[in-house]
Order: sequence, then structure tokens, then C-alpha cells
Amino acid sequence: MQIAMESAVLPASVSSAEQSLCSVPWRLSKHGSSLQRNGNNMLAGQGLMQAWKFKPEKRRTNMHVHAMLKKSRRKTPDFEYPWPVKFKPGDLDGSPLPFLSRFKPLPTPPKPVPLPFELPLVHIQKKIQEIRETANTTGMDFSEQLSELQEKYDEVRKDLYNQLSPVQRLSVARHPNRPTCLDHVLNMTDKWLELHGDRAGFDDPALVTGIGKMDGMSFMFIGHQKGRNTKENIHRNFAMPTPNGYRKALRMMQHAERHGFPILTFVDTPGAYAGIQAEERGQGEAIARNLREMFGLRVPIITTVIGEGGSGGALAIGCCDKMLMLENSVYYVASPEACAAILWKTAAAAPQATEALKITAHELVKLDIVDQIIPEPLGGAHSDPLTTSMNIKEAILGHMRDLLKMEPDSLLKHRVGKFRKIGSVREGEQLDPRFKRNMKPRDAPFNESDQHQLQIPSFVRENLERTLTTASTPAS
Amino acid sequence: MVMSVINWFEDRQKFGGLIGAFLEEATRSSMTNERDRRISVNANKGLWARCDNCGNMLYVKFLKQNRSVCEECGYHLSMSSMERIELLIDPNTWIPLDEDMSARDILSFSDEDSYETRILLSQEKTGLTDAVQTGIGYLNGTLIALGVMDFHFMGGSMGSVVGEKITRLIEYATQRLLPLVLICASGGARMQEGTLSLMQMAKISSVLQLYQVQNKLLYISVLTYPTTGGVTASFGMLGDIIIAEPKAYIAFAGKRVIEQTLRQKIPDGFQAAESLFDNGLLDLIVPRNLLKGVLSEISGLYLSVPYNKN
Repeated sequence: MQIAMESAVLPASVSSAEQSLCSVPWRLSKHGSSLQRNGNNMLAGQGLMQAWKFKPEKRRTNMHVHAMLKKSRRKTPDFEYPWPVKFKPGDLDGSPLPFLSRFKPLPTPPKPVPLPFELPLVHIQKKIQEIRETANTTGMDFSEQLSELQEKYDEVRKDLYNQLSPVQRLSVARHPNRPTCLDHVLNMTDKWLELHGDRAGFDDPALVTGIGKMDGMSFMFIGHQKGRNTKENIHRNFAMPTPNGYRKALRMMQHAERHGFPILTFVDTPGAYAGIQAEERGQGEAIARNLREMFGLRVPIITTVIGEGGSGGALAIGCCDKMLMLENSVYYVASPEACAAILWKTAAAAPQATEALKITAHELVKLDIVDQIIPEPLGGAHSDPLTTSMNIKEAILGHMRDLLKMEPDSLLKHRVGKFRKIGSVREGEQLDPRFKRNMKPRDAPFNESDQHQLQIPSFVRENLERTLTTASTPAS
Repeated sequence: MVMSVINWFEDRQKFGGLIGAFLEEATRSSMTNERDRRISVNANKGLWARCDNCGNMLYVKFLKQNRSVCEECGYHLSMSSMERIELLIDPNTWIPLDEDMSARDILSFSDEDSYETRILLSQEKTGLTDAVQTGIGYLNGTLIALGVMDFHFMGGSMGSVVGEKITRLIEYATQRLLPLVLICASGGARMQEGTLSLMQMAKISSVLQLYQVQNKLLYISVLTYPTTGGVTASFGMLGDIIIAEPKAYIAFAGKRVIEQTLRQKIPDGFQAAESLFDNGLLDLIVPRNLLKGVLSEISGLYLSVPYNKN
């Protein structure tokens, strides 16, 4: 019987000994017992060697073997583990951490996507390609033209990328091949361990958190994660976090404070997710809570904007001691398309809105919001992700060295001070009373100091000095 | 113009009949869809106003006496910031702060009009210097720090001035240990000030950290119609107690944005105060007539804590 044993269903009375004998066409007795033991058997009482003398009979047994295939059970889809089913011999020599990361390099490198303003480069590249092909087919030497064209290509590229307009920078910031948060983190860190979940029912894929080691020091990394292709983008929800993501970030930040990890955040989001469930779960509240709690964390925080910084969704992990921006990244209060639709009443005015809103890194440095611009290699970050990551790492470590020397209280004061001075108002001059006609003027009598004293509750007045000089107590 | 439309409706009602009522219903629903259910009760323009909810005609003088709440159906019409201050603050106790602060066109922003022109026009039209009034005053005998936002000035948008005035109010309240009440009404951040408006959210939240968490003082936020965008995502939802007015529209992303993202119709009442209340995001829904009493009772409850040793 060549049927595999697991698919054959043998009667239960057949012992395992006989099962092994079934491959041999021995005649089995009715009761299926062993050859020697059964008294009814004609071979009974004789040794097995005696039994060999008999010719093997035709396979006529009373035993019916039902070779039933098991009903194929519908398998529940297997949880896709990031480690291989079988480990190769050399795998377990080094650190096991890479086996826990689901973020693996893409199987095929991404297709280059030229941006609209890169058309001249595309033309030159095509010409170079054609000349190379003709050189290959005809065998003639075109090296002079090729080198000329190559030089021209480099020059045009340099000119283009040194004078990018805000609209062009926005398109570079939104480039589909721009390196994502995890790309940078994996380039920068020696060890990386991704941590998950908000401990309240959800794990938002749009916001990644984890611990990494850089330059011998451990940091907490938090960032928005875009997808590298369409499938990943759908899984990551295009880096638009829901309230669950912000609560996960808050949990990690409080964890980092407790243990002493400085926090490094990476901003790359078009904005917080605008969906029904997000609203029901309190999107506004999650962002507000993050904003408030970040100003009470007694560890250094450095934020790097690596792509787009979309309004409140970006700010919720962006209240920092130092704000760094990549050269071609943007940070806006409302996307230029939304702004155009509201103020210009047409989405076609998006380029004008981009220019007017002053969203690029250089303009934000002038407004005292951004502390340093990190240069990108020529061609944008997507052309050389490794160099970009190294630039970011250098900038972060430079600022971190200064921040690590500060005491927690002065760190908090510095952080509040950084945001306190942002904003520009006009005051000091008396305005036209017409402009104040609907504002309630003062109607309290002018001995205010007495009035204030009268109503402060007594226990507060007793502890007045203590409460006023209380330095930052740990956030409750 | 307003008078003639009102007269037309009154005539229709006089003649009565099912057809009249049907047409009136149809026009009213189309109007509300366009105007987003907002009605500005402007005492200067006419003697009559119309309730948006029940269509009832309301005599403005009585309406003001009733705190802009419709007598028939209880619908809360919009209220200016001056009226709100008078609603809450005891007479002859109000001291305003930073009255002469106004916006600066830092980005030299210009869409169809320049930002500066828009500011001047709004100041002229509304009689307000910017979208918020801040100050201190007594509420039933307790001194509080009060900030009231006004939707009439550029849609209540939060720019540098709103951020600075509220920050200074909170810093004053921290120094003087006053309870804080902020009444929120906003369409979002002021786009003409770009990323500066965004940072105001962080600025206000940073001083709230010092006020609430480090100095453990009481902050009550009152959310009115409408409270959206940056205000919801910063100080609106950070109150120790969050109070909303009935049927207030409280959202982070506006209805249109959600509909565009999801490409499906949003159910009515989705971002209304009642729906947020059911989802656990608010503490209380308090009608306007009771607001002053409720605020005063709350501050009384917090003042009589017996174990304030922390």
C-alpha cells in the first residue's frame, strides 16, 4: 500500500505492528491479530520463519482500508511573522533584533519617478541613453559626446536643485520615493527595536515607535510612517494617524521620560486622519493632550521634519526643544490645496497658496520656528537616502550633545520659551475706538489690588509662596 | 433687504394653506444647507429675527433678554462676545486685558485681498479688534480669568493675536491663582498667518501645562457653536471640565473634509455636542440660561476641597 499512512484510515482494531506489516501482502486473520498468536490461524504455533515457507497469498484481506483524504479544513490565515520559518545556520550568530522587524527592504527597487520640473533632465537622460545604444549597436566611439552630455546633465541638475521654488520643494517633499521614517531610522541606528500598541485596543500603523541605539546612546524614536508603494500606503493609511496613534505616541513618550531616553520624533504626514471613527474617538482631544503633555516631559526632545508637516497632526509629536527640517521638506498649517479652496475659492490656485503660506524650511527659519536646516544631497533625499540619513544623524547628535547637558527644569523652561516667542502682534498704540465698540470696556472701580486680595481663598493665600515657587513637579 | 424677506414670509403665513407651508419649509431647508445653520442676530438691522431651528419669528429685544435662546424651541442662536461677558460677569467688575492688540501681516499674505485690508475691514464691521476678548471679573463673587472668542471676526480664526492674548491671560491667572474659563468659538487656524498660527496651539498648550499640571489650577472650557480645527485640537479639549452648549458643532475636521476623504454622506448630528457627549468626550451640556449658575457652583465645589496637601 503506497498510500501515505496519515490519509489511510485503518480500523482501530489493527495494532501498529500489523499496520507496518500491511505493506507486505500477508494474509491477515479475520480478527486482525498477529500471525503467531492467533490460535485459529493455520500458522499458529509455528515460528515466523516457518511461515515464510508458505507462498504469499493473493492480497485478500477482510480489512477494508478506507483511504479517505481528510476534509481539507479551511485554514485561518497565518499571522505573518517577520522571522523565517527555518533559520539558516549563520542567522542566530548576530543580534536577533532584525528578525523582529516587519520593515524589510523592498523586493524590487522602486521605479524612479521624475517630477514635472525635472523634464529637462529627463530629455538629456534619454539622449544619453540613445547615444549609448547607437554606440553599442554600431560600435562607433561616442565617448566625447557622452561625457559632454553628462556634464550638461550635472550642471542642469545642480542649477535646478539649487534654486527650487516653494512649489517645487513641495513636490519633492511629497515624492513617492522619498525615504520614510523607518528608512532613516534603520540607516542611523545600530540596533532597532520597534514597540507597538497604545494598550487601549489599537495599534496604529501610521505612527511607528521604538527604541534605537545611535552612537552608543539609546533613544526613543517616534515618527509618521508613509508607505513605500501603494500597498504599503494603504496599510499605513498614508501616514495619517488616528487618535490611537497619538495615544500610542504619548504612552511611548511617557515611558521614555520614566527611563531616561531622549525623544527623537520624525514628522512626515499630510495631516491627522479625517474619518468618522477618528472623530468619534476624539481626534482633537488626542492631539491636544499630546501638545500639553509634551511640554512637561523631562527629557530632551528633537523633532525632524523629513517630509510634509501637516498641521495639528504633525504638531502633536512636534513640541520640541529643537526643530530641524530637511532642506526640501515643508511644514504648513493647512495644505495649499485646502487653503486655495477656501481663500481663493478654487483648488487651481494651489501654487499661489504655496508661495503665500511660506511653508518651506528657509522661510520658517526666518520666522524663528525652525532651528536648523539639514542639507539634502543633490537631487533630493530620494536620490541618496543613505547620505540624507547620515546628515540627519549628524545634526541630531550635534544638538543632542548640548541638550544632554541641561537640567530637566531648565530644559522645560527652554522648551516653553521657544514656543512663547513665536507669533507677531501689533500693540502699544491706541486703536480707533470704532474698532472697539463691541468690546466690553472696563467697568470695575480703580482700586483693583484690594479687590483681588479680598477674594483669594485663605488656604491659597497661606500657601501662596509655596505654590508660586514650586518648580516643575512631575506631571500627574 | 432683511425686512422685505421677513415681510414676504409673514404674508405667506397670513394666507396660510398647505402650499405656503410646504414652500416655506423647502426654502428654509435650502437656506440652512447653504448657510451652515448660522444666523447672526444683528440688533442694528431689524426688529425681528428668525429662529433657525423652528422658523419662529422672534422680537429681537425679547430675544436679547432671553440670552439669544429661542423661546419656542430652546435653540441657542449665536451670541456676541460682549453679550457673553455680560452674561457671566457681575456688573461693574470687568477689567479687560490687552484691548489694543491687533494683528500684523507678518507674511505679507495676499489672496483676493491683502491680509491687512481684511483685518481693517473686519475691525470696522464687527467693532472688535480681534477674535477674542480677555479679562478678569467676578462671577457670583469669585474672581475668575475669562476669555471669550467671537465667531464674527474672520470666522473666529486663531492667529498670533488670539494666541498671545490667551497666553497672557493664562500667565496672569497662573500668577494670581485664578480659575480660568475660556469660551471657544472658532473656524480653525488663521491661514493668512501660516505656520505661526499653528504654533499658537503649541504656545497655549505649553502655558496650560504650567497652569493645570504644575500649578494644579482649575480650567473650564465652554464649547459653543462652532468650535472646529485648531481650537478643538488645543485648548478647547484640555479643560478639566468641558462644557458644551446644546447642539453646538464641535469637530476637528470639518464635515466637507470628512466627506471628501471618505466619499460618503455623513449622518446628521454626527459632530453635534450630544453625539460627542455620548462618546465620552464632554463632561456636561449646559444651556445658556444656567451657565453662570453652573460655573459658580463648580468653582464652589473645587474651592471646598478638604485634602489640598499636594
